[in-house]
Amino acid sequence: MEDIKDIRHGTVGSRQLTEKTGESGKTMETTVLLELRDIRKAFGKGENRVEVLRGISLDVKKGEFCVLLGPSGSGKSTLLNIIGGIDSTDSGEILIGGERMSAMGEKELTRYRRRHLGYIFQMYNLIPNLTVRENIEVGAYLGRDPLDVDEILHTLGLYEHRRKLPNQLSGGQQQRTSIGRAIIKNPDILLCDEPTGALDYNTSREILRLIEKISLQYGTTIIMVTHNEAIGAMADTVIRLRDGSIRDRTVNVTRMPADQLEW
Amino acid sequence: MKKNRQNPLRKRYLRELRGDFGKYLVIFILLVFTIGLISGFLVADGSMIIAYNESFEKYRIEDGNFQTDDEISRANRRKIEKSGVILYDNFYIEKKLKDGNTLRIFKNREEINLLCLMEGRFPEKRGDLVIDRMYADNNGIHVGDELQFGKSIFVVTGLVAFPDYSALFQNNSDAMFDAVKFGIGAVGREDFDSFASDELTWCYSWKYADPPGSKEEEKKVSDRLMEDVADIIYLEDFIPRYMNQAIQFTGEDMGGDRAMMLMLLYIIIVIVAFVFMITVRDTIAREASVIGTLRASGFTKGELVRHYMTLPVLVTLAAAIVGNVLGYTALKEVCAGLYYASYSLPTYVTVWNGEAFVLTTVVPVLIMLAVTFLTLQRRLRLSPLQFLRKELSRRSRDRALFLPSRLPFLLRFRLRIFFQNMGNYAVLLIGILFANLLLLFGLALPAVLDRYQESMKDNMLCDYQYYLKIPAYRMDRDYEFDKILSFSFLRTATMTSNKDAEPFASYTLRIPEGEALRVEDINVYGIKKNSRYIHIPIRRGEIWVSSAYADKCRISEGDTIRLREPYEDRTYEFHVDGIYDYMGGLCMFMRMEDLCERFGLFEDYRSGYFSDSRITDVSRDLIASVIDYDALIKISRQLDVSMGGMMVVVDGFSVVLFMILIYLLSRIVIEKNAHAISMTKILGYTDGEIAGLYIWTTSVVTVLLLLVTIPAVNAIMELIFRNYLAARMTGWITYDIPRSVFYKMFLIGTVTYAAVAAFEIRKIRAIPMTDALKDVM
Repeated sequence: MEDIKDIRHGTVGSRQLTEKTGESGKTMETTVLLELRDIRKAFGKGENRVEVLRGISLDVKKGEFCVLLGPSGSGKSTLLNIIGGIDSTDSGEILIGGERMSAMGEKELTRYRRRHLGYIFQMYNLIPNLTVRENIEVGAYLGRDPLDVDEILHTLGLYEHRRKLPNQLSGGQQQRTSIGRAIIKNPDILLCDEPTGALDYNTSREILRLIEKISLQYGTTIIMVTHNEAIGAMADTVIRLRDGSIRDRTVNVTRMPADQLEW
Repeated sequence: MKKNRQNPLRKRYLRELRGDFGKYLVIFILLVFTIGLISGFLVADGSMIIAYNESFEKYRIEDGNFQTDDEISRANRRKIEKSGVILYDNFYIEKKLKDGNTLRIFKNREEINLLCLMEGRFPEKRGDLVIDRMYADNNGIHVGDELQFGKSIFVVTGLVAFPDYSALFQNNSDAMFDAVKFGIGAVGREDFDSFASDELTWCYSWKYADPPGSKEEEKKVSDRLMEDVADIIYLEDFIPRYMNQAIQFTGEDMGGDRAMMLMLLYIIIVIVAFVFMITVRDTIAREASVIGTLRASGFTKGELVRHYMTLPVLVTLAAAIVGNVLGYTALKEVCAGLYYASYSLPTYVTVWNGEAFVLTTVVPVLIMLAVTFLTLQRRLRLSPLQFLRKELSRRSRDRALFLPSRLPFLLRFRLRIFFQNMGNYAVLLIGILFANLLLLFGLALPAVLDRYQESMKDNMLCDYQYYLKIPAYRMDRDYEFDKILSFSFLRTATMTSNKDAEPFASYTLRIPEGEALRVEDINVYGIKKNSRYIHIPIRRGEIWVSSAYADKCRISEGDTIRLREPYEDRTYEFHVDGIYDYMGGLCMFMRMEDLCERFGLFEDYRSGYFSDSRITDVSRDLIASVIDYDALIKISRQLDVSMGGMMVVVDGFSVVLFMILIYLLSRIVIEKNAHAISMTKILGYTDGEIAGLYIWTTSVVTVLLLLVTIPAVNAIMELIFRNYLAARMTGWITYDIPRSVFYKMFLIGTVTYAAVAAFEIRKIRAIPMTDALKDVM
């Protein structure tokens, strides 16, 4: 199994991470939301076969902020897509809230994504002929108990841009809109695939601040894929992947505020 | 999910419509015109057919008519009426007008075949004349005009429809009616009685006292009647209603037109469905990442299918509504006009046509919905991840095709564009095939008719074919002495000293039902050995058929054909020894002696003369008819008049359709490459250079496709033409399209494409450089 290192940075905001069991004696909540057991995935056939994931096992607890770190080709995005139910495994087991994902059909998977997941992509993928507000409403439509659109617009600093179309926005504003679309439905898990990958330093920090805020304000479980080492410091758990395996798992006892991140 | 919450995606509809206005507008126009034109046609056709069918009762159309050589005596009349019919006089006289046209004049009808007044008034006093409305239209005659024949001058007081002449067939055996050179009219009793009785044709119409219930029964009853009448009087002609082309042709033809229009409709529907399919595919390709995101976020496939279906469905429904409104108003009038240009139909009342609604609106809308739905279902089957990665093709990622670097860079660039768009070009191929088919549909008929008229000039048996008034009936060797005398008398009276004249014998047989697509008469010529006019080395006992007959009924040398007597239950079999190149009619040739022997006629029986010069020394009274060039091209002339209007509509329509298809397809190529075009602009390529790359490739492909589809389209059209004409037309016109038509097609295609390309070049100019810099999608 992977090595587990504890790095203590202190407490972030008002939320205390607790764990009832475990050798380290930490005081963290232990409701496991997501369990991955020996996930394997390969692409191609014969000589071209590439094993992208080689037996990944991990647990993500409710409210946890988990960062998947690794270089290109390490399998982190594939893992995120598998968790998101938009890619399949060759073998292994995924349990979400105790439900086996492999037992889910196409419709159940859609329902699962609809009820439990929010997605943020590197390339935003906004709908070009809908305004900022309407793009966010697209997410609200899917949620059973969505948050207030205006509140989200204020939170994301997009209220004054709410009537603009995506092509009138900067990259950061577009990504903020896509975050709004993902969190408005109040998802249990927020999946972020390199959300700052296409942004400059300042805008990236701004986006990370927002994600942190969501984590603290709504207690949303967040799984973020990035290749930026520095971002790991703001997470509860950092999983380092290389060649499809977990090389290292770090639990941050205290999370570094996004404001203080530097790279 | 809260059901009462409205899907925010619906806000896209109006914007999508505005953003893609051009595309939706052309689809809308196409559907409106298709649905409008065809429903207008079907409504007019349906209403006309109802008017036509009702005219049998309303205007008391005869059950048949026969002609004899003199007025029937009262005693004979009573005898005939004992066979279960009531006879009505329907005498007429034929007058040559100044312009060479023939006008057949009846007495104003009071009991049978009543006239339908369409304009003006019926004849009230001497000198009043009503004439057929269509003949008047074709010859520019109006109410109030004067017509002169001989010394008499008549004033046209009204335009009418003769219910027993809805198609103006002068003779029932004519291949086609002729509403240009043959007209009918009616005058008051006093005027009619003043005509000389020796000029009258003694035509009697009958109505059954007890009308037969079915067509089979009608046939039997009329056959019996013919025998009965023939026993009492001498019959020159006997035409029961079911065989009367002047009455029946219109009904059959309207049915045929309906079939043709429906065929056209379904060709167009397939094209439009196809357009819908490619636009849906295009939309999905364009929106791949949005779809991927929506699916990843939890939107169901069903929700997205509904979302992407909404706009095409709304456009189709709106077009269906507008199309039907137009169909029932303006376009119905246009289509009714086309019918009035072909037939002398009575006035009609527009009748709501449920079937037309189903065929033109419900079925097409359902087809569109099905095509759109199935395409979306299929395309949206891909996983969210495939959409996000824009892996829309099922195939694994294509390897780049090797292109030698020796090739100039620009050529390699163009070739890459070609390979990238192969799928679109395949779609373009099908589109061009359809569009060309429709274009040829409109261009073929006039060209075939022109070609026919031209070829007839060189292909006539002789300049004048004289038919004498010697009915074959009189020649039957079973007949008594007085008949022989009368024959000898007529034979002497019809002798000519014209050196060009060559006698021939003729006999009429009929194709039995089921032997060919259409029951029609075959003229059997008995010709002299070494005939000057028919160049066949024909030996005794040999049978040759005309190439028109062989082509239409697919007869080859060595075949055996069956023909029957038109008015008797007797069938003949003939072995075909040769095919004679003659397209002027469906006929058969044998030696004169053979003809007389085979049909039991006097040995020196003759029906008339072939001649290259006019015969002037035979009394006009003894000449039944003269077939010259004008008479031979009657069929093509009439088809030209009656279908010319329709073909202009079809032509216009096909050009529009062609433009729409090319526009939509080349637009997809441009849109697909918008990102790359924007990028090349950033790199410093000029608009002209970019157009040279992107438009050039599509242009070359389009031009090549325009060329390669022509033979295929020609073959399909020949098939349609053969099957359509063989069943509908008496006589035959070969499908022979001059090359000029194909040049014309190619030219129309190229010019249309050039117009669209010019438009697309403008579009390329409009693509902003920021497209490549801002990744909005």
